[in-house]
Amino acid sequence: MTALLQVLGVGKRYGGIHALDGVSLEVLVGEAVGLIGPNGAGKTTLFDCITGVRHADSGQIRLAGRRIDDLPTYRRARLGIGRTFQRIELFAGMTPREHLLVADREHGGDGRLWKDLLWRGAPRSDEVDRVEKMIAELGLEAFADAAIESLSLGQGRLVELGRALMTEPRLLLLDEPSSGLDSRESAALATVLNDLRQRSKVALLLVEHDLDLVRAVAERVYVFDFGRVIASGSLTEVLADAGVRTAYLGEGA
Amino acid sequence: MSQFLSYAIPGLPYGCVFALLGMGLVLTYQTSDVFNLAFGAQAYASAVVFFVAVQNGWPVWAAFLLSVVFGAPVLGALLQFGLYRHVRTKPPLVKLVAALGMLIAIPAVLQVAFGADQLINPPSLWLSPSAVYFHVAGDAIDGTELSTVIVTAAVALLLSLMFHFTQTGLRMRAMAESPRMVSLTGVNAEGVGLASWMLSSFLAGLAGVLLAPAFGGLQSTNFTELLVAAVAAAAAGSLRSLPWTFFGGILLGVAEELLSGYLPSGQILSSGLRPAFPFVVLLGLLVFLPGLRRRWARTDDPLAACDPPPAPLASSVGGPLFRRASRTTMALLLGGFVASAMTWISGSWVFTITEILVFAIVFLSIVLLTGMSGQISLCQATFAGVGAFTAGQLADHFGVSILLGILIAGLASAAVGVVVALPALRLGGLALALATLAFGLLADNIGFQYSWSGNGQSGIVVPRPQLGSINFTSNRAFFLLVLVVLALCIVVVMAIARGTTGRELAALRGSELAAASIGVNTRRLKIIVFALSAGIAGVGGALYASLDQSVSSSDFNTLISLVLVVVIATVGVSSIEGAVEAGIAYVVVNTVLTSDLPSQYSSLLELVFGAGVIVYVLHPEGVVEVAKRFVLDHVLRRPVEPEAVG
Repeated sequence: MTALLQVLGVGKRYGGIHALDGVSLEVLVGEAVGLIGPNGAGKTTLFDCITGVRHADSGQIRLAGRRIDDLPTYRRARLGIGRTFQRIELFAGMTPREHLLVADREHGGDGRLWKDLLWRGAPRSDEVDRVEKMIAELGLEAFADAAIESLSLGQGRLVELGRALMTEPRLLLLDEPSSGLDSRESAALATVLNDLRQRSKVALLLVEHDLDLVRAVAERVYVFDFGRVIASGSLTEVLADAGVRTAYLGEGA
Repeated sequence: MSQFLSYAIPGLPYGCVFALLGMGLVLTYQTSDVFNLAFGAQAYASAVVFFVAVQNGWPVWAAFLLSVVFGAPVLGALLQFGLYRHVRTKPPLVKLVAALGMLIAIPAVLQVAFGADQLINPPSLWLSPSAVYFHVAGDAIDGTELSTVIVTAAVALLLSLMFHFTQTGLRMRAMAESPRMVSLTGVNAEGVGLASWMLSSFLAGLAGVLLAPAFGGLQSTNFTELLVAAVAAAAAGSLRSLPWTFFGGILLGVAEELLSGYLPSGQILSSGLRPAFPFVVLLGLLVFLPGLRRRWARTDDPLAACDPPPAPLASSVGGPLFRRASRTTMALLLGGFVASAMTWISGSWVFTITEILVFAIVFLSIVLLTGMSGQISLCQATFAGVGAFTAGQLADHFGVSILLGILIAGLASAAVGVVVALPALRLGGLALALATLAFGLLADNIGFQYSWSGNGQSGIVVPRPQLGSINFTSNRAFFLLVLVVLALCIVVVMAIARGTTGRELAALRGSELAAASIGVNTRRLKIIVFALSAGIAGVGGALYASLDQSVSSSDFNTLISLVLVVVIATVGVSSIEGAVEAGIAYVVVNTVLTSDLPSQYSSLLELVFGAGVIVYVLHPEGVVEVAKRFVLDHVLRRPVEPEAVG
């Protein structure tokens, strides 16, 4: 299998603090990889650098061999990087269905202003069908046309996931998708993610504190501490590592 | 060196006033998350009360107690308690409009209370403004300058003692981090917030009374323009540090005087640059200080997630029936206008109705930019002015038909819109609003003063159009022309709203970060929406010029931009018909109702809509939306709330 995402020696400083200190990691095509580590270890900063919300100070980021670290966020998204957010970012005033529609149109890439002005900007039947399919796959039917403000956090996270999936990403970054969910909702999320991987070749990079979810979804994990990768391997392997136990689980070595 | 000093020293008192107002801004921004643009108006209020009291034979100390020690904090407490308390967790537009409402309402209230006559030669608080106390580098130091500097220094010292050594000071500093955390530790956060409002309003009142003698007469615009300098000072302190704000303010005052000293006198650029200088500084700080932008773009209260989400707009939950009702309202209104204008009403009323439609076009530009895209512009009147002067000058100098001129005016304004959008790309929320305000004031003080543009107060003459044998000098013919243009603009906005761009704009309004993460090119989108909005405003401005047949820079000054935003926000910025209804409200209050009232009611519009923001903060969807929801709920008995989601 070939590497889809390569992070090579990426560094990012805030003032005197090394948020990321020479981080290198790799995600293969279609692979599911977990990122674990204590709060403040630099996991979300790494996501921000991969998606272009922040720019890394040093190092390289490659998607399918192509350097992407100079591209703005939207270009990286169009190259196939989708993302969800730790503090959910939904579009206030739009229904879940509209969230999916706008994402699908972005992916189609034919949103020309002149088409709007010629009154040809309304959703086409093929777009409506694709959105309908996604609503069914994620089980959003009950609230697809509700006001986004009336959704629960779990429902909101599903809408975020659907919105990211409508862009048909090759790599999906999930930032603590289970935070704020109860254990039943977390288990359901694991099922959704595993179904997704069976249907498509999407690779997952998952920041998560819920180790059950990581175990259910990820094939491999990287452990972060103080902006560095301190271990990698299967979840069972790294949890046996003494350094990881000290850093992450707070146990004496 | 002595020349340098002789230019620099007269800047000190101005700097002191900027510093006092700037510290007030920082203090209230930190404790209640509201950027109170009304401090300038509050300074004016204290100056007026002080003036009137002294004029009525009060001793100066009693007048000072009434206007500054008692009056100013009470006004601040009233504002906090009655208005700003409610907007803390609301979106940036609501906070901004609340402050703008007070900015325009306070001077209007004073005008009604104390008459429309100018108050000439304001008295001095302490030392006589005409007496010269000593000379520094050949500069005569008069009483106003000396007392301003001494009083400000004393106040700054007291403030710094208070913040470091008293319980209240400590609590105010803690409030800056998170009022909720402060209240969790058992402190009455509301009380601390109130105290900070009273303190900063006292500073504003003091600044007003100190500076008043420097102006020949008390004019509200002198004081409201002070505020942008205060904003720049607060920006120099990154909206956080009182000492840096203080020094920023002083430096700004000195730099302003130096600039006017060294620039050649008697030219528009130099006479206009001095009042515009703080805005240039502000723009520079906004564009080049990323930390400042972040602090302005979002609140960083760690417990902000405890707030309930904002209620969905009536229009987004109303369903098809609601939308149909909205469209019917607009169709009936427009139909009524056309039928009336073409048949029974007199020519001057046709003129008034045409004016309504012209303003509807300008309001439509704000609906597109703010309602649909979430971008706040405080220079829409400037865009309209660019359109008006482009069409007028083209007709005057090149004999371009005014119809073609209106089209070119739209394009010219759109181009200016792109220029404004470029620095605005990196700004959002309040920072964007302030940057556009700075741009508007620059155009006001410099751009529109040249004879080739707006020709200042004298203005330019703009003809009515002539198309083949149709002559639009008749009010009815011109009315039809404006109607057609308005309809075209509405069709354009509707086409955008239902298309890809409209959905992208809605996404941009919802979350710029998430929009970019699904591949929306937010930069391109902002440029497009600024260009379209400015273009529509420019067309509206050109039609306004042609309707009136003469326009000057005062028709498009920044105060009008602010009033426009307050009116459309209060009426309803989220729907297209809101633009038409705002046009009606604006023209009816501004021209129809004021025509028979005594002169102190000439600011009736500012009074009504400024005070109207008190209603607005409770119903940010606008009074029209509230009225429609009421009709659906209680008259048609069809609830518009969606089914509860399980």
